[in-house]
Amino acid sequence: MLIGAFACAHTPQLLIRPPTEDRDLVLRVHAAFARVKARLCALRPDAIAIIAGDHIEAFFLDAVPALAVYVGAEASGTFGPYRYRLPIHESLARGILEQGIERGFDLLYTQGARLDYAFYVPLHFTMPDPAVPIVPLHVNVYLPPQPTPRRCYEWGAALGEILRGRPERIALMASGGMSHFPGTDRYASPEVEHDRRLLERLQAGHGREMASLTGEELDKTGNVELRTWITLLGAVGDVSADVYCYEPSWHHDNAVVEWRP
Amino acid sequence: MSADLHYPFPPADAYRLNRCLYAIKSDPEFCARFLADERAACAEMSLSDREADAVARFDRDVLVGLGGHPYLVFMADLRLRMAREPGALEYF
Repeated sequence: MLIGAFACAHTPQLLIRPPTEDRDLVLRVHAAFARVKARLCALRPDAIAIIAGDHIEAFFLDAVPALAVYVGAEASGTFGPYRYRLPIHESLARGILEQGIERGFDLLYTQGARLDYAFYVPLHFTMPDPAVPIVPLHVNVYLPPQPTPRRCYEWGAALGEILRGRPERIALMASGGMSHFPGTDRYASPEVEHDRRLLERLQAGHGREMASLTGEELDKTGNVELRTWITLLGAVGDVSADVYCYEPSWHHDNAVVEWRP
Repeated sequence: MSADLHYPFPPADAYRLNRCLYAIKSDPEFCARFLADERAACAEMSLSDREADAVARFDRDVLVGLGGHPYLVFMADLRLRMAREPGALEYF
């Protein structure tokens, strides 16, 4: 069953802060993550299914999957001094993979690909203690042609049905966005007003609208990673979002959001 | 999709350049070799002289102009700065 849904940004500066990053802003986002952690502890999930966009870490140009499921015993990743080894809920991961394929989604699966920081930055701050096994779900966000927002939403809708049909208590999390333009000449000017309006639409319960965005629109507004949120929205439907925080920095719009599906 | 995306399709002729940026970002042993001897590391990746010059100077516009993926350019640069100035960072 699907017991909770959350979305957030995951900028690495939240984990490793350079002097150029506003410390108070970072701490306010951490406080919002702490609220998610408290909610997860109260929800007592058996597993956290987390949708994130690989930052060309697990999947380089040798093989670029649109959608993928991690089905190994554990997933591991490294960022600076941080070493993460996170257990995977193997039977749930296999269930998502098999039922996803049955429903017509040609998912790639991996038992050994490394885990990107998009997955573990939010989990670093929100994972209950003792740790809950995860199911990492990858969406290609940075290597065109990416899956369309429509396709992400459809996959999310199928994923939601799969999760609701499972016996485990499952929390769903999307990690990505909001507006940012790393490595481009737009880096210092995220689309703050655009994201503010987008959050207002989500608060009003209009998540379905995000499926009508185009890939070009996402690229233009620095929101290629919003595909992860759109996938989650397919699963939760038009439920009002509770925005824990919206904290635009000089280069990146941070937000932490909950839906009660 | 139009060609003027922030994140365009990575051209095939930039594969080796992108592989080098990926290795700086994601392979700590290669990153250490790069920090010790940039030219030798670029030769290991079979970069052209032009690509090796761009990586040595780490000029974003030149690297992207050569087909480097903007995100790889960004994070390879961040990883190099993390390695060169670890004391400037706060770890949570």
